[in-house]
Amino acid sequence: MSEQEDLEQRLARLASATDALRPSAGFSARVMLAIDHAPAHAAHAAHAAHAAHAAHTPAPSFLETTWLSARRLLPVTAFAAAMAVVWAVQVDDSIDDELATSYTSELAASYASLELE
Amino acid sequence: MDTLEKAVDRVLSGDRSAFQQIVDATSQKLVRLGARIMGNQADAEDVVQEAYVKAYRALTAGEFDRRSSTNTWLYRIVVNGAIDAKRSQKRRSEASDEQVDPGWDGAAFAEARLALSELEDWLQALPPDQRAALVLQSMEGLNNSEIAQVMGVSEGAVEQRLVRARATLRQKRERS
Repeated sequence: MSEQEDLEQRLARLASATDALRPSAGFSARVMLAIDHAPAHAAHAAHAAHAAHAAHTPAPSFLETTWLSARRLLPVTAFAAAMAVVWAVQVDDSIDDELATSYTSELAASYASLELE
Repeated sequence: MDTLEKAVDRVLSGDRSAFQQIVDATSQKLVRLGARIMGNQADAEDVVQEAYVKAYRALTAGEFDRRSSTNTWLYRIVVNGAIDAKRSQKRRSEASDEQVDPGWDGAAFAEARLALSELEDWLQALPPDQRAALVLQSMEGLNNSEIAQVMGVSEGAVEQRLVRARATLRQKRERS
């Protein structure tokens, strides 16, 4: 009997001895439970829970809706107000400059007329 | 079309309970295959359970193209899972000695456990892919073409793994 035959015989004997192996009790139920808790299913369950929660939540009133919308617009409104202040200050400065220029021109004209006299 | 393929059709059409039929019809041979590669039943059940979860996800996501039979496809998922688990087990240098409740004849279970233990001692010197090829051929009775399909490699690669596995086992015998 060659070594190769020994090897094959041993494999055959161990195959035969392990033929009776079967899953432990409750294996099938554990598999189905694992499938229920698999991430893909969990995502589906979360979606279903969210939908159920939404179905049981009463619709918000007009005031709540307005308040929620206003809160969302608050940053935009604050930015717009800041820009308006900056614009107003700039416009005010330019008006002051223009008024100062015209006053200087008037003074120069007055001096010129006095010198002529 | 056999019962298994019909059950797959039902899962594809959204019948989750049909997957239980697939598990009931295939778990015995898949756990046995897993145990022969892993060397113990507890690890085999973990691998097979994970394989079923992957299979269910793939079925419901429409990723099973049915180019191979359902049996071959499940074999492939289990063999790949067992090879990965065996590799990570080797990296951690630990083997699970967790006991499982057989739920069936104690004498037959004791004999099978002893045989698994002997198999593990004998084949632990082999790289997981060589061990899987040897188990598929000599214990599961698959031919090289079927092993190639299950392992997703060429027949030449299967032949090479089998030759190397047997050479390693012969050398081990000569040394002992």
